[in-house]
Amino acid sequence: MSKRKRPESNAPSDSLTDHERLIYDVIRSKQDMGIWTRDMKRELRVNLPDNIVTKSIKSLQNKSLIKEVVNIHSKGKKHLMAVEFEPSKEISGGAWYSEGSLDTEFIKVVKSQCLKQIIKLKVATLEGISDSIKRSGAFKVDLTKQQIEEIVRALVLDNQIMEVKSNGSGEFTNIPVGKVCYKNVSKGGGGGEPKTGSLASIPCGVCPQINICTPDGVISPKTCVYYTTWLDF
Amino acid sequence: MLTEYGTKHAVHVITNHFGDLVAKVCECLLRKGPLTRQNVKRYTELSDEQVKNALLVLIQQNCVQAFTTEQPDGPKANTQYVVLFDNILHRVRFAKFLTILSQEFDQQCVELVQGLLEHGRLTLKQMFDRAKSSEKEGNLVDLDSLRETLVKLVTAHYVERCPASEPLLMPISEEEGPARKKGSKSAKKIGEPETIEQQVVEAALPMEAMRFSVVTNVESDVGEKEKNSNNVTPGEKRKHDVLELDECGVADEQSVVYRANFEGFIRRLRHKGCIDHVRAHLDDGAANVLSAMLQATSSAEKKVKTKNSVPLSLSSIYEEVIKSEAGRNMTLDHVRASLVQLGELSFVDASSDSYSIDFEKIIEIAQNEEVESVVSKRYGRDAYRIFRLLSKSGRLLETDKISDTTFVEKKDAPKILYKLWKDGYLLMEKLVVTGARQSQFLLWKVNRQILWKHVLDEMFHAALNLSLRVSYELDREKELLNLPADKRTGPLQDRYNRIRKVRILLESSQMKLDDAILLFHDF
Repeated sequence: MSKRKRPESNAPSDSLTDHERLIYDVIRSKQDMGIWTRDMKRELRVNLPDNIVTKSIKSLQNKSLIKEVVNIHSKGKKHLMAVEFEPSKEISGGAWYSEGSLDTEFIKVVKSQCLKQIIKLKVATLEGISDSIKRSGAFKVDLTKQQIEEIVRALVLDNQIMEVKSNGSGEFTNIPVGKVCYKNVSKGGGGGEPKTGSLASIPCGVCPQINICTPDGVISPKTCVYYTTWLDF
Repeated sequence: MLTEYGTKHAVHVITNHFGDLVAKVCECLLRKGPLTRQNVKRYTELSDEQVKNALLVLIQQNCVQAFTTEQPDGPKANTQYVVLFDNILHRVRFAKFLTILSQEFDQQCVELVQGLLEHGRLTLKQMFDRAKSSEKEGNLVDLDSLRETLVKLVTAHYVERCPASEPLLMPISEEEGPARKKGSKSAKKIGEPETIEQQVVEAALPMEAMRFSVVTNVESDVGEKEKNSNNVTPGEKRKHDVLELDECGVADEQSVVYRANFEGFIRRLRHKGCIDHVRAHLDDGAANVLSAMLQATSSAEKKVKTKNSVPLSLSSIYEEVIKSEAGRNMTLDHVRASLVQLGELSFVDASSDSYSIDFEKIIEIAQNEEVESVVSKRYGRDAYRIFRLLSKSGRLLETDKISDTTFVEKKDAPKILYKLWKDGYLLMEKLVVTGARQSQFLLWKVNRQILWKHVLDEMFHAALNLSLRVSYELDREKELLNLPADKRTGPLQDRYNRIRKVRILLESSQMKLDDAILLFHDF
């Protein structure tokens, strides 16, 4: 959801040149999506020379009417937006993005908290995890249900937790039958990282060149440097 | 359809065991499909004698099966030969088969099967002659005990009578094809057409009762083992019959040929694989419960790739669990709890108070883990999450949706997806949307059938590479290995220690990789 402030009627926009007015109108019309400078030039009704456009953009920025934002789909390109708008999820990346990149630290912390609560609860529904995190006071701002769901789904993909359905009895008592729940993945006698597969345990299994390796070729098991390293006792 | 490295690996195994000539004939059949002897000679450019001898070796060793086909009108077609690819793969597993036997039977059983594996097929007389030739003092071999050993192994379905030498293959019309083979035990799924190899194998098999029977010497059995004699009647006719059967019995012992029943061993390995998988995922208790269920139901299995075990009640399962030493200390509650755990992972289906093992699920999960492990190690953790998302979803997903769900940077996701696609792990589709502006979206998907074939080919490639590297390393140190121990001093001893470790690592990796090949090809 974009946060929009009502533009003030006696804004500095009153003191704009015609060129600045043209450019400002185009940028403002894009609201929370903003616009790339080159696209903006194309949308102008008149063909303005580059130096005029550059000067006008700078002036508008100085007057705090427009700002530069990062578009995660094209981080290198200059993307402009009227100051009263917040970048939409489509160009900012959403709650997990900060200045155009994934906020990996934040994601790591949320993942770790969710996992901690799931381990503590042994079997947890999404609501259970959400309540438990709220009660723990680990975050200053409440995480939305959608955010928790996204993180929990990522933990399933990381194979750190598994999704099960309640059967209403045993450890699922108090959880309605059929409700989706999450449990920590038990690793049998191990614990921690899942066991490496048979193919992945040998050089060929992880080799980026396997498609061009042949028995008597330039890249072959006899000449393979990965094998040589592996067998270096 | 055999993959390229499946073929190369099979040819390499035959070369190692029987030499280049036999391997050349084998490769010809692998690449061209079933052929007559004339055509084998034409393609290999070998002499008639050479082709004949190579085929005889391959048939003796159960790697090739001859067959004839019926022509709609006119005489029978010439004999053709089809290669039995699965049996070639089994040749690297003989040690595993013997290990299974040694856990269930005595040393005489192990030695008998060892002989069958070494020679391909033997009559009882040949087994006896072989045992006699390696007889040790104080451990004399007698025919009766050897016969008993054979009966034990045949009853357990680890040994079988050899199939017909040249079965007649009936031509199947296209409309009839899948429907006709609906009940066939060798068709993987209903509707999936059988390969010629599968059809020939099935046509060659003796009837079940015949396949697992041993003709014994009736004279010694009369009064002791009546169940083994066929036509014992009272009075003089009995004496006449006994004499007749005695002659037949002796003749049969010299003519009826037996071989190891690979299916029996593979079934056992499949069970073992499932138990190990459950132990790795859960605990020993769950593994004991699964093992007990297998023990109680395995005799009811009709084919290797059985989908589900016969349902058992909780009390039947418990009775079986406490029979074993490992399960003796388990309480009924403990067994029940293990069944719940197994149910949660869908390894066991529970309905109306009966429990049935879902083999397909256990194997599916094990296969997924094997592939995911490769993706993780080869392409990284982000790729691992992406792959799991697509694998679980089973449908096409768009790039942005993938990067959002997996928490992969939007600029990195396309690179990872492209790499996985280029190496054959994903399918890609382009979607062009025309609106105010034309937009192109890329959609990605995991196609299990295609991918599994690709992964299996990579496994065959890796198996071949391991084998080639072992040969290369041992060849390099041939002289050192032939040196007597007292001459190996200083740096020579270091090199010797190294080559020993290299050999152990490579050979154990071959065995472990073969477990994965079993998982994808045989289970």
